[in-house]
Amino acid sequence: MTTPLLLRFVSEARDLLQFAASGLLALERNPRDEAAINDVFRSVHTLKGSVGLFDFPAFTKLVHAGEDVLSAVRAGQLPISSEIVDLLLDALDQFGAWLDDIEGRRGLSDGADGLSRDLTAALRALLPDDFGAAATTARSAGELASVDWLPDISEAERLEAFRAATSGSQLLAIEYSPAEDCFFSGEDPVNLFRQVRPLYGLIIEPREPWPAPEAFDPYRCVLRFRALTAAPRAEVEGLFRYVIEQISVVPVGPETLIAVAGEPNGGPVYGDFVADALALLAASDWEGLRRSVSALHELTGRHLFVASALRWLEAVLGAPAPDSGWVGALIDCIAQGSSVPVPPCNSGISTTPATKQPHSVTGPLARLSALARDILDGQRVILEMAAESTTFASRLTAVGCTAANVLRGVVRQSDLEAWGSAVEASLADGTPVAALAELERLLNASTGAPSEVTAADALRPEPTGTQTQEQRQAPARVLKVDQAKVDALMNLIGELVVSKNSLPFLAKRAEEVHGSREMGREIKDVYGVIDRLAQDMQAAIMAVRMLPVSEVLDRFPRLVRDVARKLGKRVELVIEGEETAADKNIIEMLGDPLLHIIRNSLDHGIEMPEEREATGKPPDASVRIKAFQEGDQVVIEVADDGRGIDPERIRAVAVAKGLIDEERASRLTDQEAVNLVFAAGFSTAAKVSDLSGRGVGMDVVVTTVEKAGGSVSLTSVKGQGTSVRLGLPLSMAVTRVMMVEAAGGNLFGIPMDQIAETVRIARGQVRRIKQAETFVLRNAVVPLVRLDRLLGVEPPLWFGDADQEEAVLVVRIGGSLTGLVVDHFREGMDIILKPFDGILSDISGYAGTALLGDGRVLLVLNLKELL
Amino acid sequence: MPIRFGKNSVVLDGACAVEEALPLLEYLQAHPRAKVTMRGCTQMHTAVFMVLVGIRPPIASLPDEAFMKRWFAPALKGEQA
Repeated sequence: MTTPLLLRFVSEARDLLQFAASGLLALERNPRDEAAINDVFRSVHTLKGSVGLFDFPAFTKLVHAGEDVLSAVRAGQLPISSEIVDLLLDALDQFGAWLDDIEGRRGLSDGADGLSRDLTAALRALLPDDFGAAATTARSAGELASVDWLPDISEAERLEAFRAATSGSQLLAIEYSPAEDCFFSGEDPVNLFRQVRPLYGLIIEPREPWPAPEAFDPYRCVLRFRALTAAPRAEVEGLFRYVIEQISVVPVGPETLIAVAGEPNGGPVYGDFVADALALLAASDWEGLRRSVSALHELTGRHLFVASALRWLEAVLGAPAPDSGWVGALIDCIAQGSSVPVPPCNSGISTTPATKQPHSVTGPLARLSALARDILDGQRVILEMAAESTTFASRLTAVGCTAANVLRGVVRQSDLEAWGSAVEASLADGTPVAALAELERLLNASTGAPSEVTAADALRPEPTGTQTQEQRQAPARVLKVDQAKVDALMNLIGELVVSKNSLPFLAKRAEEVHGSREMGREIKDVYGVIDRLAQDMQAAIMAVRMLPVSEVLDRFPRLVRDVARKLGKRVELVIEGEETAADKNIIEMLGDPLLHIIRNSLDHGIEMPEEREATGKPPDASVRIKAFQEGDQVVIEVADDGRGIDPERIRAVAVAKGLIDEERASRLTDQEAVNLVFAAGFSTAAKVSDLSGRGVGMDVVVTTVEKAGGSVSLTSVKGQGTSVRLGLPLSMAVTRVMMVEAAGGNLFGIPMDQIAETVRIARGQVRRIKQAETFVLRNAVVPLVRLDRLLGVEPPLWFGDADQEEAVLVVRIGGSLTGLVVDHFREGMDIILKPFDGILSDISGYAGTALLGDGRVLLVLNLKELL
Repeated sequence: MPIRFGKNSVVLDGACAVEEALPLLEYLQAHPRAKVTMRGCTQMHTAVFMVLVGIRPPIASLPDEAFMKRWFAPALKGEQA
């Protein structure tokens, strides 16, 4: 299924992303750049508007968050920093990845919802607290909600969930407060939970007291849903993707489920059991404890508090590796006949491996979450009660571990150490005073932290829609046309040029065959007009295909920034002449070679800042990309002011790699030596980095550029920098060839850019050196090759005088001259080169064919393959 | 019609969609003592459910459908789980 709207969105969104990314980089350099921030904001804002047309809630939400951050930056509420730019660029990258997904599979990848929320939360965390209404509705992370409602779930259900958790499932608590008007947007909250599987608990409650029956509004949703599930987080987030800011999902440790409740029993005292159980616990005799628990359970009425505690004990002991902290706490429950908070797992003398982390309390803010505070408070209660208990020492240890686990990574290291010493002090003097005091201090220090977002605030829906319409920009006067259509036009104009060329033939025929000179002249007049029009038309269509080089250069600021940061170098990228235009194919082909060159430059050319300072250069290196038009070529120069290439080193490496022998190496000029980096298999990098230095690089650049009819040259001054120059034809559409006659009167085309000159030499001047023929051209010996022989045709035998001349086309292939003997020179002409296709495509030696004005087919030679 | 209104009773049958919420509410407002039978109800929109928990009419029977039977019961019967 292809929707044109979607495709257009993807292409537009890519442009917007590019625009936003370059704006961000400009902003990073100059945080006061109002124009840049406005550009970035507008791009993201437009993106938000257009993504909203489609069903990608994850995408929309992240864009929205990005827009909020940018809006805060724009309003001056948030100073821009590298971190913010990094985060925003990450978000842009994510958009890019999603666009790829959308284009490839027409949907976002799995896990996009969660990813979106994490990034959104990270972005929102940047926002100042007093940022506008839209921002405060957002919760900085879905983690801060309290789960104190868990005990409201029936005990049987909690037991079931607990067993699932101890056998390895991660439990999630979901709290969902639908927007009041959610029924109008077609939501059916209850039935969302139908799809959550397995569901261990679902509590549906009104958020506010029910109104009187007469004032009841059935279409204003006032329900709140709380559920407990073992479904994977990504699945839950996927299910609730449309309302993801209205839900909070919190991972729940199994111990939070343990809550003992029931009728207090006035019956027998369970002292014996408690003593036995504690002994069994100390010995870690789970089997024995299990037996004794089930025996007692059978004797106990099921509604009693003790029965509830025993059921939990059974469940805890049912785990493969029971947690002694929990068992201890439950035994305490029975001993005291009242509820005792259960420590998170792996406390005390537990043998359980720490697979289940207590709670994810490490939010983006290093403050105590509500949940963490609940747990710490629980520990405080335990400590207070433990003061009179006989098991004080072991309890204190358990509490110490628990609190330390909660605090780890949330508070400062010094606080953690203070807690550790307070626990030791308490242990030493046998009273909980020191530990209690420290716990109080921690709790007080963390209260009042601004991270508290009340559920009602956090769950208020975001205002939607309205402002996306306001600022829709006036449509640019730009037509987006499929490239194939332009190509079709291009082909047609090519045909027109070719058929136009048949008019002179017709004129000639009118003169010679029909004997009407006048007719011939009139045809020539008409030809003149058509010729001019056709040429204008060709130019106009070529202009349509012309793109500015900025199209490909735009991605480099980002690349240079990222690579430079990674390498620890400081680089300033200067781009000049980005408006220089060239044919689309050329522009597209430029990307990879330029990438190689720039990476090479950053990796090998630019020195580290210290090294630069030591040699008296400014610490910020500069890489300059300059594009300009020169004749019928676009030239792109990449120059850096790095360490340059050392010709001596190149010579040594080339000899070591066996590319040339020592004797030749010593004869090379420095420039020639530098050019060796273009040789295949050449790499001087001592070790392969992930950026460059795999020994492919520069020769790939040369091959690619030459394939497009361009050339590469490199100059370098040791210690001062390197400059690579790419010269490319403005357009690949029209090739200028020279026609020659060879092989018995056949016409062949030879690309003009390979021809150095044409000469006529007397046959007597041809020298034979063994089998090879040569001739002397301006004091240089040039090998002579007969085109007939190259094409497999025996050259005509020659009898006659030595004054008779040979037509020799001097061609330059790979930097060396060769003389090509042909029968006759013919005129040069512009042709539209059509490469061989189909079964002909394997034939080597030919670049392709072109149609001549009189209907004949011209074979264009590929001399590089022939010679 | 998934909801059938009787003289003093209302029967929810099949899938009750969001647009049933208002008629149901009006009926229950007019007939505060009408009993609600939900045995044959297979699906209930949140809005309909909200009317039932908000107004708390006497319930004659809960839905047989497993999801609703399990999770709606506490709220509809008004007992804490």
